[in-house]
Amino acid sequence: MHSSSQILKFQISNFKFQIVLCFCIMLLSCRTDEVIYPTIPTNVTDEVQEGGLYVLCEGNMGSNKARLDYMNLETGTYYSNWYGAQNPKQVKELGDVGNDIAVYGNKLYAVINCSHKVEIMDLQAHRIGQVDIPNCRYLAFHGDKAYVSAYVGSLADPDLLGSVFEIDTASLQITREVKVGHQPDELCVVDDKLYVVNSGGYLTNRYDSTVSVIDLNSFTEIQKIPVGLNPTRIRKDEQGHLWVCCQGNYDEVKPQVVVHDLNNVIKRIQTSCANISIYDNTAYILDNTNKKLLGISTIDYRQSTINLPLSTFENPYGLLATKDALYVTDAKNYVSSGVLHCYSYDGQERWQALTGDIPGHLCRVGEAMQTDTTDTVISYSAYISHVYEYLPAIGQFVNELPKYEEGDDAESMCRKCEAAIANNAGGMVTLGGWGGYITFGFDHPVKNEEGRDIQILGNAFYMTGSTEYGSSEPGIVLVSKDANNNGLPDDTWYELKGSLYDDPTTEHAFSRTYTRDGDTIRNPFHKQPYYPQWLTADGYTLFGAKLAPQTEKISGQNVQHILDYGYVDNKPNTDIEGTSFDISWAVDANGNAVQLESIDFIRVYNAADEILTQTGELSTEITGAIDLHINN
Amino acid sequence: MIKRYLFIFFAFCALSAFAQSEADSLYNDFHIQEVEVTARALTKDVIVPQTLKGEELQRLNALSVADALRYFSGVQLKDYGGVGGIKTINVRSMGSQHTAVYYNGIQLGNAQNGQVDLGRFSLDNMEEIQLFNGQKSDIFQSAREFGAAGNVYLTTRKPYFHPNEKVHVHAQMRAGSFALANPNVGVDIKLTDALSLTLDAEYVYSDGKYPFRYRRVLPTGEVAYDTTAIRQNGDVNAVRAEIGLHHYYRTTGFWRVHAYNYYSERGVPGAIVNNVWKNGERLWDRNTFVQAQWQDEWFNRWSTRLLLKYANDYTHYQNYDIKLLPSNNEYLQQEAYLSFANKVQLFNWWDLSVAYDYQYNTLKRDEWVSGVTDERFDRHSHWLSAATAFNVKEYLRLQASALMTQITNHKSQITNPKITPGIFASFRPYPKIDLSLNAFYKQSYRYPTFNDLYYTDLGNANLRPELARQHSIELAYRKATKAYDLAFSASYYYNRVTDKIIAYPKGQQFRWTMLNLGTVKINGVDAKADMSFYLPLRFVLRSRLGYTYQKAIDVTNPNDTYYGHQIPYIPWHSGSVVAELDWTSKRGDHYGFSYSFIYVGERYSQQENTIYNYVQPWYTHDLSIYGEWNVQPCRLKANIEINNLLGQDYEVIQNYPMPKQNVRCTVALKY
Repeated sequence: MHSSSQILKFQISNFKFQIVLCFCIMLLSCRTDEVIYPTIPTNVTDEVQEGGLYVLCEGNMGSNKARLDYMNLETGTYYSNWYGAQNPKQVKELGDVGNDIAVYGNKLYAVINCSHKVEIMDLQAHRIGQVDIPNCRYLAFHGDKAYVSAYVGSLADPDLLGSVFEIDTASLQITREVKVGHQPDELCVVDDKLYVVNSGGYLTNRYDSTVSVIDLNSFTEIQKIPVGLNPTRIRKDEQGHLWVCCQGNYDEVKPQVVVHDLNNVIKRIQTSCANISIYDNTAYILDNTNKKLLGISTIDYRQSTINLPLSTFENPYGLLATKDALYVTDAKNYVSSGVLHCYSYDGQERWQALTGDIPGHLCRVGEAMQTDTTDTVISYSAYISHVYEYLPAIGQFVNELPKYEEGDDAESMCRKCEAAIANNAGGMVTLGGWGGYITFGFDHPVKNEEGRDIQILGNAFYMTGSTEYGSSEPGIVLVSKDANNNGLPDDTWYELKGSLYDDPTTEHAFSRTYTRDGDTIRNPFHKQPYYPQWLTADGYTLFGAKLAPQTEKISGQNVQHILDYGYVDNKPNTDIEGTSFDISWAVDANGNAVQLESIDFIRVYNAADEILTQTGELSTEITGAIDLHINN
Repeated sequence: MIKRYLFIFFAFCALSAFAQSEADSLYNDFHIQEVEVTARALTKDVIVPQTLKGEELQRLNALSVADALRYFSGVQLKDYGGVGGIKTINVRSMGSQHTAVYYNGIQLGNAQNGQVDLGRFSLDNMEEIQLFNGQKSDIFQSAREFGAAGNVYLTTRKPYFHPNEKVHVHAQMRAGSFALANPNVGVDIKLTDALSLTLDAEYVYSDGKYPFRYRRVLPTGEVAYDTTAIRQNGDVNAVRAEIGLHHYYRTTGFWRVHAYNYYSERGVPGAIVNNVWKNGERLWDRNTFVQAQWQDEWFNRWSTRLLLKYANDYTHYQNYDIKLLPSNNEYLQQEAYLSFANKVQLFNWWDLSVAYDYQYNTLKRDEWVSGVTDERFDRHSHWLSAATAFNVKEYLRLQASALMTQITNHKSQITNPKITPGIFASFRPYPKIDLSLNAFYKQSYRYPTFNDLYYTDLGNANLRPELARQHSIELAYRKATKAYDLAFSASYYYNRVTDKIIAYPKGQQFRWTMLNLGTVKINGVDAKADMSFYLPLRFVLRSRLGYTYQKAIDVTNPNDTYYGHQIPYIPWHSGSVVAELDWTSKRGDHYGFSYSFIYVGERYSQQENTIYNYVQPWYTHDLSIYGEWNVQPCRLKANIEINNLLGQDYEVIQNYPMPKQNVRCTVALKY
């Protein structure tokens, strides 16, 4: 049959053709692991300015490309995607549409509009946490509070009013909310009042034209001041007057800048106003229709054009006036990289840098951060980097290790613990009596590998000539994985099973409530209050397992029986194995073994419950912790 | 990864082996073979379409027309994921609005945004899908058909009756992952010898919930994050019902009327971005149209065709997600269309055709939140075409067409009529060998849509149409014997799109507008092979290979940071492989196994080709097994498909995750 001879032919294939085809396939690359976006440093100038500049690039809606870049003004180096590199673990990066950025106190705040959150970072842009606010827009600060405007409205509400939220800058909790006008944008504080512009941006042909005045004490809207159609920006000058940029209706009602002395409109300036920045009695207004930068005296309103080459810009957008320079951005076509320009006040361009998409928001930080480690992403510290929680039980060293000072709160106490024990600092933190705890973590997850994974340091020691007795103040270790990826230790905890876990003398699921009133016992050496002074509550309950007393009197000395394994502050730090823990020991609440690939958070609590006459209570002390899989 | 790689490698090697032996036989055994070749008429296409039809179409791992079009060369599918996600196609990188889609010969319109969601068209009653680059081969067509750069023809099932048959019934149930339930019933009735009726109805439900995973690693290889979530608000509920009446009279005449109704409610799952894992938008659609076609021929020389259509499309979009721009928008589009086409055969080597089309479109818009109510737009469109086709002996076929388009939009001045030419040539050097060299040049306009012109604050009533110029050359070869049927073709094309309509920031803060700004230069190569081998013991091996290379670069302005960069979402390399082994038993039962592989190479999500916009390649392996049995008096079919077999986590459009491994089972009974 002919057909079968054909088949035979198919089998005797000519390899040349195959090779060509296979070569074609080689061209088609395979999918690989998705690597997080790096930061790319670019040297843009040799000039030295002070401090640094954060550039928040909005990114287009739905693209999740909000990007925080950093310009180190002292080294002249521009770092793209700085946030991403500092926080590689943040799921889906910084978020969607960056809308505002500001430094307040020692924190950096970024409003991420379509991720519906305010991201809170330290000044190096390490994430501290976030506050969820729907459709959040802009920021202002006063006292220990941050104020955030939000477009949040509901379909049920025909007026679609927006809100201003108040955030406590210490606890990072929303404390109050007030309804204002339609689609509130920028806001600023003058004296005890908050002024927020109501743009009405969702209501084509029906834009709003007012500024809501909010009394910060009662947190209620006390007045609505008419300014001009579609106000989007509001800034305060040194005279305490408000400068409001009204966009008009993009048709016959032209844009204008309105100056208001809190009682009346005192000046109207006919100009388009993409952005405004007030510095040294001059309001700099970015007229993007004519591509000019106006400088208007906030005292006599004399107007001058700053001679910048903005006509070469495609889309002048962001603006910041500072004491030594003017920063202006070009957002180009909104869907490609923008450019950040730095000018002297005489109009000389000093440098420029390529930014992310839509560089809209700028803020200076006073001191430049350490950016010389270009591979921040790659090198991890073997030492713990962060203390998340610190809640000791009543004890003789509480409020001393670390030291409580007037005005401290839970957050600042954590920072003090960090100063003591993070990054191999070598200090000491007490957990107080039974149940007191501390939660800390590394700048990376700790992997569960063969053998022990984490060493936790304390101040235990052996009695001379013995390894059976010594000073042991055993703490139990809990570990947790950041299952919800929020960077906070609010996930399921697993106990690392120590040698006494199955001992009948161990009391599991114990709890005790400590109260301020119950803080009565003092010993002569420590006369300070033993109740954690930074707590606002008058009582708190601690939970955990309680070990049976281990103290014996040997040669007139109170010493403890050293436990076999699995407890913090039980064996001397020189015994690396004796002070180290294996994540494989993890058990759940029912005692069933749990296999964890890696962990993000570690909690240690004092499991001893003994108060000795001479030396006070047995209290786990912590002096640091080390990831045994990292060598540095 | 290695394993996965080898799989692809072997798939290609195996198939290439067959390809090679074909080439051997062509050059060495031509004379011997010639005897065996069954007489076969040369295909008359000046433009060789890509076609999927009949059983091959039904056996593809495809649910909708959009899924099937992925197997065509030169086509990029935009897919937002899931059963309910929008799926549009872009032919040869000119933009999806340059592609026209025809349903039983009449274009599906969307005057509002110019895009047809091909994910809504079921394959169940589809008989054939064809893609023509340039235009359809036959000059006897409506005027408007000369107007698009790429054309997809969808042809639904036509009734065929054996002399004693009166009724055909087709009942089918499909179920699968994401709670897919998809029953379909079709009935064909022979009313008289010449008149027949077809009915087809379908329901689709899916909850659209599928797991997706985002995993990122640090440069060291350590996991930065690895999170899995479930896609939310991707549910779809859709009903489709169609009725068609066909009448053939004399031997030349024919008329048919077709009514189509589609209703759906779906969630719009939205982009997955930081801190947002769920969106609340809802969309309701109703698409209704009635179309009629009449055609006859006189004196064996003169053919006439009349087309009529009325369409009524309603869309309701609602956003209950208080975090976003609250919306409650309703749109009603209506379309009336008439086409009158005539073709005259002057000599048996020379045809002439003239056609005139008229269309009226209206859009009524109500956007309750922004306060727009009862806003209406309309448009009158006129098309006049003249075309000619002539043959020089058997060697050369030529076609030339010219189309005059005049579109008058509500509120804008009457624009000058635009004339666009097209020239097509096909050269066949050997009368007995089906080898042809085809080439064409064509211009076509993509007219601004209602959204481009009038969308609140964004529209620009002064927009000009966007112009695409195509140059294409193709070498096609086909050979069929008792042992095999092979078709190969390779084309090279150069397209230039100018006056591209894009959204651009306005001179005022926060505003966009539509502008004629943008030039794109496209160089591409499509290569495809269709092969069937009739093996002993009633085995048939069929395979289909496609490969596309495209370099589509933005050449608008040398000062742009993206000048010379590849335009968004166009991969340099893409391709597909389908292989199917079918066995027929002595009593006529079928069993088969089919494997398909789709590859879309690296590309960028935005104009600038930077690492921040880089999108990884994706490729999926799909498998299906099927059986077909005679169960008198019916024929029973069953099919199990496994899609994305290796569970790749991928995105076609950034932040729109696609489903991992998923399964569909179909059981069909035909009477």
